[in-house]
Amino acid sequence: METTVFRAENVVLALEGVTRRFPGVTALNRVDLEIRKNEILGLVGENGAGKSVLTKIMIGIYPPDEGRVLLNGREVVLKGTSDASQKGIGAVFQDGSLIPNLSVTENLFLCHENGFLQFGTLSRRKMAAEARRLLAQMNIDIDVDLPVASLTPAAKQMVEVARVLWLSEKYGASNPIVILDEPTTVLNDSERDTLFDILKKLKSRTSIIFISHRLQEVLENCDRIVVLKDGQNVTDMPTKGVEISEVEKLMVGHEFSGDRFREVEQAAPRESVVFKVEQIGKVGAFEPLSFEVHEGEIVSLVGLVGSGKEQLCRCIAGLDKYDSGSVIVDGKAPLNGSSSSAVHNGVGHVPIERRVEGLALNLTVADNINYLVLDKLKRAGVISSRMEKEHAEKWVAECLVKTPSIKSACGGLSGGNQQKVILSKWLSSDVRLLILDHPTRGVDIGAKDEVYRLIRKFAKSGVAMIVMCDTLEEDIGLANRLLVMRDRRLIGELDASAGRKPSPQELIKLIV
Amino acid sequence: MEEKSPDAKQLDARKAVMRVVGRLKPIHLTIALILLVGLAMAVGNREFLSLYNINTILTFGAILLIAALGQMFAILIGGIDLSVGGTISLISVMFVFLVHSVGYWAYPLCLATGLAIGYLNGVILTRVKIPSFIATLGTGGIITSLAYLVSPRPIDAPPEDYGYFDIVNGSLLGIGNVFIFGLVTFILLLTFLRVTRTGRNIYYVGSNIKMAWMSGTDIVETRNVAFVLCGVCAALVGIVISGVRYGGDPVVGTSYILNSIAAVVVGGTALTGGVGGVVSVLFGTLFLSLLDNGMNVVGIDQYFQQAILGAMVIFGVAVTFDRSKTPIVK
Repeated sequence: METTVFRAENVVLALEGVTRRFPGVTALNRVDLEIRKNEILGLVGENGAGKSVLTKIMIGIYPPDEGRVLLNGREVVLKGTSDASQKGIGAVFQDGSLIPNLSVTENLFLCHENGFLQFGTLSRRKMAAEARRLLAQMNIDIDVDLPVASLTPAAKQMVEVARVLWLSEKYGASNPIVILDEPTTVLNDSERDTLFDILKKLKSRTSIIFISHRLQEVLENCDRIVVLKDGQNVTDMPTKGVEISEVEKLMVGHEFSGDRFREVEQAAPRESVVFKVEQIGKVGAFEPLSFEVHEGEIVSLVGLVGSGKEQLCRCIAGLDKYDSGSVIVDGKAPLNGSSSSAVHNGVGHVPIERRVEGLALNLTVADNINYLVLDKLKRAGVISSRMEKEHAEKWVAECLVKTPSIKSACGGLSGGNQQKVILSKWLSSDVRLLILDHPTRGVDIGAKDEVYRLIRKFAKSGVAMIVMCDTLEEDIGLANRLLVMRDRRLIGELDASAGRKPSPQELIKLIV
Repeated sequence: MEEKSPDAKQLDARKAVMRVVGRLKPIHLTIALILLVGLAMAVGNREFLSLYNINTILTFGAILLIAALGQMFAILIGGIDLSVGGTISLISVMFVFLVHSVGYWAYPLCLATGLAIGYLNGVILTRVKIPSFIATLGTGGIITSLAYLVSPRPIDAPPEDYGYFDIVNGSLLGIGNVFIFGLVTFILLLTFLRVTRTGRNIYYVGSNIKMAWMSGTDIVETRNVAFVLCGVCAALVGIVISGVRYGGDPVVGTSYILNSIAAVVVGGTALTGGVGGVVSVLFGTLFLSLLDNGMNVVGIDQYFQQAILGAMVIFGVAVTFDRSKTPIVK
């Protein structure tokens, strides 16, 4: 404790040689990290690089196996999130941790309402007044009596930030540290700009750690950037004058070619039509529309949220019923509104909500990969464990899934590897049309490239695909053809075959 | 190295313990518990390990095993079946009347009744969409009433009534038929879960029902199958009890509701579904049976036995429950 080492005056939180191991993996390996007063620190790295574990150490969810945490130069042991927040460290997670049916005020002060006691009961008036003061201080205009469920994602995040700041104020922590874990993935562009405006203002009294996959915004808005790779920090530098490609190189350890979506490997689709919809329509969701997908063709559905593309895909996958028209896969018509019939007719679906809809998290990697083909892994009418093992091992190798063993639970894998497990599951079955709903959402750069490789490979082998991507660049890069939807209508299509790719600007004019 | 703060020291000690505990699997702990209980009881009374007593443990253990295996299906799929007690009671009295009037047909008729009850539970869950906890609480009440209607008080059937229809009390190569029933059920269900498509689907549906639905699995059928198996197992238990006692009793099943659930969870199966299996249930059942029998042999006051059993269930689950697979406990 009397070991205050000399360090720059303005360091608030420092991690020294922090190591954290999990069964089979070293998530963090002697990581050093400094957070200074009044700065926004960008923390980037691939999925599985150790960002979330690092965050959890800073807010006291995990204790480090080795190494020290110093707060204002003194070693501290964080006993949990509540302890961390009283010491002025708090995190805001992507999916939020507010209680949706409670009001903004109630959420702000949850579990720390003691200061509002009046004659033994809570004074709602005092709480509301304090909530208004708090939000006004941050220049945020939200009705504090509204339930949190009715707020926009951006407003929810602001409420969480306000809560972190209030707690540190209440418990007398001088310089609060707010960790934002991929806050921008759920925001639209204008909300994102607002977020950064507010963060920049907050900088005068806080330190902010900003975690994101979008390097552009990290470089534009952060003062310093720390890159994590394989559980080690590889760099710590000011963002001024740094190029995206430099950071990408540091993250993956090798240079990225200009060919980000493996466009060179794009093959022309074959003649035969695998899939078509004719005058398919759903009242209130999308107007009747028709299109075809050829064998080996990647068709990208582009359009804003609310354009109807999500509902269209749900209908094709049999998750919702359509009201009119027909769906044909390989000449056969799956039953309307039956996911089982769709799957048996060769329609696969890689969902956006991977953990909720895509995986049995407490079953093994092998169980998840083999799910659709168990009937084929039979010997003498019963499932053979040897064939199961061989099939799973083959696909783990094929899709480069990084897992301690095929018997590990899927819940423990990183996002990218979970996605590869889901892809293995569908690609090893007799899938004819694969719907990929944001296939690289929450997947780091290295694993993204793996996902692109698999998509290309299976398109080449004849699987037809419908994709919806995170960015227009990705849509254009991946697709052979783009279908544009606007206001629940299919308004046109663009050729995007190799060498004839439209620019994002051309596309954006059609969408909005 | 500088002096570590007391906080940090305490943390180190705790981590060292956690490392050792982390390497153990739930099943190891269940086995350790079984050995511990066995040893304690054997020390308490030499007779505990006599051939006669071991036979008793295996017979009653086999009955609980069948009930617990059925219950496991309901739990594995993410539900629970509170109607097994009623079913066991109903079948035990029904069997007495049926064996008297229709002879051999009593067996298939009773099993079919169990199947129908299980299917009804399944349909209320999958079609009416009422959680199994409530659905089976309701059907359990109805079935218990039916049992009382068949016979309001325990009835005896003279062994002559069973005559050569009695396949419960016989033995094969010196091994009691009840034990063989338990063993056969165990092996059949083990095989079903490991090597058939439907058996596997039960794990997928129990682990993530939304994923299973989106991947084309018939989640209605799978859940119905799980509850049907539970109903059939309960019916089998009813038949066996009726045979062993030469009579039926409209309340005999009551204790099996909680004991079957306890046997499943003590084995390390999570109530959240998707985790566990027949082998865990076997060990969980063995643990409860040893305890139950041992307390009688050692001569623990009848009034205390429930308390000890309850405390041991909590202790057993606390030790064996695999928290790594279910982070949040409801």
